[in-house]
Amino acid sequence: MSSMTMSRSNLWEVSSRTIVYAAIGAALYGVLGLFDFLLPGTGNVSIRPAFGIVTFFGYAFGPIVGLFSGLVGNAITDQLHGYGFTTYWNWSLANGLAGLIAGLAPLYLASWMSGAISRRAIAGAIAGAVGAVIGFLFVFSDIWVGGQSFDAVVTGSYVPVVVADVITAIIVTPILVYAWEPVKEQLGR
Amino acid sequence: MNIAPRYLGRGSWLARRDPRVLVLVSVLFIMAAIQVWDGRIVAALLAVAILYYRSAQIPFRDVRRNWLAALTLVTLVVVLNTLLTGSRLEGVVVHPFFSIPLLGTVVSAESLSYAATQWMRYVGMVTVGFPVAFCVAPSDFGATFARLGVPEKFAIGVDLTFRFLPSLGADYQQTIDAQRIRGYDPMAGRGGPIVRLRRMLPILTPLTVNAIAGAEDTIDAMDLRAFGTGKRTWLRHLRFERADWAIVLFFLGLAVLMTVAGFVSTSSHLWTPQLLIDLAGG
Repeated sequence: MSSMTMSRSNLWEVSSRTIVYAAIGAALYGVLGLFDFLLPGTGNVSIRPAFGIVTFFGYAFGPIVGLFSGLVGNAITDQLHGYGFTTYWNWSLANGLAGLIAGLAPLYLASWMSGAISRRAIAGAIAGAVGAVIGFLFVFSDIWVGGQSFDAVVTGSYVPVVVADVITAIIVTPILVYAWEPVKEQLGR
Repeated sequence: MNIAPRYLGRGSWLARRDPRVLVLVSVLFIMAAIQVWDGRIVAALLAVAILYYRSAQIPFRDVRRNWLAALTLVTLVVVLNTLLTGSRLEGVVVHPFFSIPLLGTVVSAESLSYAATQWMRYVGMVTVGFPVAFCVAPSDFGATFARLGVPEKFAIGVDLTFRFLPSLGADYQQTIDAQRIRGYDPMAGRGGPIVRLRRMLPILTPLTVNAIAGAEDTIDAMDLRAFGTGKRTWLRHLRFERADWAIVLFFLGLAVLMTVAGFVSTSSHLWTPQLLIDLAGG
């Protein structure tokens, strides 16, 4: 599996490299997910710099890695917070879906993923933003899980989280693409 | 920085159970709780959750902050839901107390009952979730998932994730120290969330790239051991004992009971105490 040059056919390949990258993405998200800054004007929504790791891992290493990094990474953060990974399972899955959709970039951003590094970095930002906007639609499951109203989910959860995560994804993902590309060349990936 | 998961329930009755029990109980409890809106039944479920939690013997002083954070989050979610929308009360006759200025939300006997029930449901779910966080040895999660029927590669990934946590925590601290030596302190200074996000980048970027580059050894080791060519066995053997079966069957029974009750009784409908209705002038 070569990063950022995945073809449609090997998107779903699961090798030792997939497993290890996925575990590293999840562990990084789990560790760094503990650090967040409260968004002014909201009560319970914060910017988590670590979310950029989920979108970057998805974009660079594929949908399986993105799904695992978001799903297990958020579950690890919940474990470390003490809630247990099952309590907010739907939020973990939403994070995973964001990584998965960022990882599907070769399906909708194929022409941007080859050529100059600047194009690939921009594609990373777009994939991250698309992943956050679509992936976090799953938090609407709080209507059934938590008994919240549609308006409360929109104004209290979905919109603030997507705004925060889109900002994070479009800043962090391209920077990580720029940092990773030269190292990737050195490693012969 | 110590980010290793804490195994605080070590030696307790619950920690001696098969770790699959703790995961299954949490899932079954959530399945039961999300089907009920009768506050009296939700209160009974919360009582069951508290009894279950007590068997984990997690020292309160070690989790005080976790509880404070969890209860704050749950309360915020419930208050927001109640203030913004007066809860979901379609088709329910309400007995109003007053309207919130500007928002126009009606606070009624029913919306307060809804909020209280919702709060108890969330707290119940968190209560059974705490033992999953503090009573399962972190090294057992891989085997637990594998024996729960989760795809083997996913289970190995979970196992690896827990193994990476301490070393990545150490790398994180080392990166901060290295940047401080260069005169850069990500924690110093003020600014809005985006400024603070940008200040984290000199930590996040080298940490991520080093972690990926350093993964080559692990990948080589797995390939040399022919990873993925055959079925993998686990060093940790898990076995259900009689007590494990009893707990799982009890919570399974609870989930089934709540499902059936949802069809044949009013358990899935909101219950409002008469006292609140009287106070609202009903």
